[in-house]
Amino acid sequence: MNRLDYIVLFATILAIPLYGIWRTYGHPNLRHYLKGDHSIRWGTIGLSVMATQAGPITFLSMPGQAYESGIGFIQNYFGQPFALIVVCAIFVPIYQRLRVFTAYEYLGQRFDQKTRLLGAFLFLVQRGIAGGITIYAPAIILSAVLGWDLNLTIWLAGGFVIAYTVVGGTKIVSLTQRYQILVILIGMALAFGIAVHRLPEDFSFSAALSMAGKMGKLEAVDFSIDPSRRYTIWSGILGGFFLSLSYFGADQSQVQRYLAGGSLRASRIGLLFNAIVKVPMQFLILLLGVMIFLFYQFEKPPLFFNQPSYQRAIENGHGPQLSALQTQFDDVFTRKRDALQAMPKASAAESETLTAQVRDFEAQARSIRDNTKKILIEAGANPKSKDSDYVFITFVLDHLPHGVVGLLVAVIFCATMSATSAVLNALGSTSAIDFYRPLLRPKATDHHYVVATRWLTLAWGLVAIAVASFASLVENLIEAGNILGSVFYGSILGLFLVAFFLRGVRGSAVFYAGLIAQTLVLALFFTSNIGYLWYNVIGCGGVLLIAPILQQLLFRNDPSGPAPA
Amino acid sequence: MSEQDRPPVFGTWRKAYACAIVLFAIEVALLYAFTLRFS
Repeated sequence: MNRLDYIVLFATILAIPLYGIWRTYGHPNLRHYLKGDHSIRWGTIGLSVMATQAGPITFLSMPGQAYESGIGFIQNYFGQPFALIVVCAIFVPIYQRLRVFTAYEYLGQRFDQKTRLLGAFLFLVQRGIAGGITIYAPAIILSAVLGWDLNLTIWLAGGFVIAYTVVGGTKIVSLTQRYQILVILIGMALAFGIAVHRLPEDFSFSAALSMAGKMGKLEAVDFSIDPSRRYTIWSGILGGFFLSLSYFGADQSQVQRYLAGGSLRASRIGLLFNAIVKVPMQFLILLLGVMIFLFYQFEKPPLFFNQPSYQRAIENGHGPQLSALQTQFDDVFTRKRDALQAMPKASAAESETLTAQVRDFEAQARSIRDNTKKILIEAGANPKSKDSDYVFITFVLDHLPHGVVGLLVAVIFCATMSATSAVLNALGSTSAIDFYRPLLRPKATDHHYVVATRWLTLAWGLVAIAVASFASLVENLIEAGNILGSVFYGSILGLFLVAFFLRGVRGSAVFYAGLIAQTLVLALFFTSNIGYLWYNVIGCGGVLLIAPILQQLLFRNDPSGPAPA
Repeated sequence: MSEQDRPPVFGTWRKAYACAIVLFAIEVALLYAFTLRFS
């Protein structure tokens, strides 16, 4: 990065929060601080929901995911439109009608105080840790490739977010997210355009796509019912539906986004906007990864994208082995490139032969990269994240023009800041509204609660930075965020589904069902190695099954919380 | 809720949901056509 890149980077990441502070500075009452005002319309809500979901990992890891495995991952989002429609039809009208600040307030009104606290507590634990990982994951990658100090990078991303979220509350979060996601989309579109432009001139866009297809990168939809297939339309619709329903219906960091402004109509349109644009947006991000894959068919990629890890292995005395692998890799790359360059002028029969050769060379290159990773592990230079996470940032730093590099690094910071601000805003609000107000100061003034929420938001920001500072202890940190969510989301969703659909179940039954289901999930997490997505189903199904049984057997005369109309 | 939310017209929202599902189905169909064309 040169001076121009740093100017673009700091101008972008500073200008948006400063504009937000200028627009929102003042003395808001509690409602405005937690829900914004009526100036927040559906467009802002839609972009804010999108920005909250699309954290930095989306933009760092997704292109690398497509580079490695193709665009089949898109199917994971196929359940989201259905979940968003359920949220629009059932969750949003209830939250808006009851004028709740947090989703867990609804549990208190429908059941009792202890169930509300249980839902809020599970959210705080899960999101408190996940917020730290959201800051840490891009920081470890950026600090590695840019040579920045890790703690400085964590504070750079986290410090700004804490400051402006504390000052402006929900309105500043929504406002800044609107501009941050626009910067992100412009940056990704530029990267896409440049990747396509840098392909060889004798390859049209269509020919490039055909080549990617022949190399197995463009299988977007798979109707297979083979359970061993990782991404299929069926697993995407079913698994994606439950994950999205938990996330959008019961996670305060999203609930607070679409309740902002207080208009049922704006909330619904904002969510439906996401139901429609999410799949095309993810498709384009994955296709960017395919374009980078094609680019690296003609421009030699590094043997291992995580170069700091690779260099550590050389320093640890594994240079000769890695050098031998590099020679093999160079040879395979040259032969593969020659075969690819011969394709546009080849006859149909020759093209078939060349395609088979290219596939064979690609398999050899993959095998050499796998062997490289084994050596890195032996050398004690085992990276904390997948090598594919470094593909996009390596492409940006090595092949994009100055200025655009700064913008793309700003994209990663914008994504970190927008996702983290939503989480901190939700953590501060939930701590204040669901714990502080009812348990410690039930009859204070509006101003008192605004101040308390600000202090609690600051405290959660410091917790997130502390978690980020210790996150290096976590192996495979990117998976860690997904696993953490799955461990807690199921039980939380179960509480809400019982509230909506099992009208005869009351507070004590659902509270103990929630505790039992969560204990069961935690026990499975520590003692078994089942796929983590199943925790959502087990937690949610556990609450839905156990609550009515407890109601019938133990809590028939429970007076806590008959369902409101 | 604001003025513009009243009166709640359920039928209108049902059409909006149906429209969202139809658009999603078109997206999936285009992705499938893309898969067939380039794989």
